[in-house]
Amino acid sequence: MASTVIGAGITVEGEITTDEDVVVAGTVRGKLSAKEGVTIEHGATVEADVAGGSLVVAGALTGNVTASERVDMQSGSRVIGNVKAARVTIADGAQFKGNVDMDV
Amino acid sequence: MAANASIIGRTTRIRGRVSGAVDLEVQGFVDGEIAVGGDVTIDTHGMVGAGVQGKRLVVRGAVKGDLLGSEAVLLEDGARVVGDVRAPRVVIAPGALVRGFVDTGDAGMPAPRASRSTAAARPAAAPAHAPARAAAPPPKAEAPAAKAAHKPAPPAHLAGGGNHAPAPSPSVPRRPPPPVVPALKKAKGQIAKKKER
Repeated sequence: MASTVIGAGITVEGEITTDEDVVVAGTVRGKLSAKEGVTIEHGATVEADVAGGSLVVAGALTGNVTASERVDMQSGSRVIGNVKAARVTIADGAQFKGNVDMDV
Repeated sequence: MAANASIIGRTTRIRGRVSGAVDLEVQGFVDGEIAVGGDVTIDTHGMVGAGVQGKRLVVRGAVKGDLLGSEAVLLEDGARVVGDVRAPRVVIAPGALVRGFVDTGDAGMPAPRASRSTAAARPAAAPAHAPARAAAPPPKAEAPAAKAAHKPAPPAHLAGGGNHAPAPSPSVPRRPPPPVVPALKKAKGQIAKKKER
């Protein structure tokens, strides 16, 4: 259970900083930094640089992503930006344009 | 349901604007304006550093900014608000701390409220005079005026304060009518001065 939820219909313009899980179902513009999991749900729009522990994307994300653990782009997601994480997965049906930087 | 319920968690800090058409719950820190079409709850641990707009605002945390509720603003125990509060319904529960202007926006209200509060202020002021009067004679001039105002007051209370507003103005030379807060301040000031004398 995420303790911070940006629900559908909510727009945050600015900077979000948190130590807990974040679920975005609405819109975030600016910057999003979390220490735990970040979930960008289907239908959500994020135009921000995102930092987190692990990131799951099912919606639209424009911005650079840095995750300490992993980034999973699910089917139907749309990601534009550079992704830096220990592990990155791109599911079949995900749209992605950008650099991938894994610890090789 | 998670899609509709928006929560800014306890360790979350937002610097910027939060807007939308749905409900929002703030348990963390928002340093920026909140403007939503739904209800806003600012929890015990929630802090907002700017104005909040919504349908129904429930505050148990801290707000430094204006609260604007299209329906109601409920300031509950633990609320700390520095800023103006505007809504058709404003509730300030015991334990809530507010510093700012409160406006419930009903156009007809100010006049009757002023007369009621002056009437209420009189009995409160009268006992305060009593010890001062014993010490210093000058207040006599004020004392009858207070009595005069005091006399018509009780029947008005029994009959209902509404019609009472114009009645005291001929007997008392226009001191009470001006706005609530200044009138109270004046009265306090006068008392203080008399005590000094």
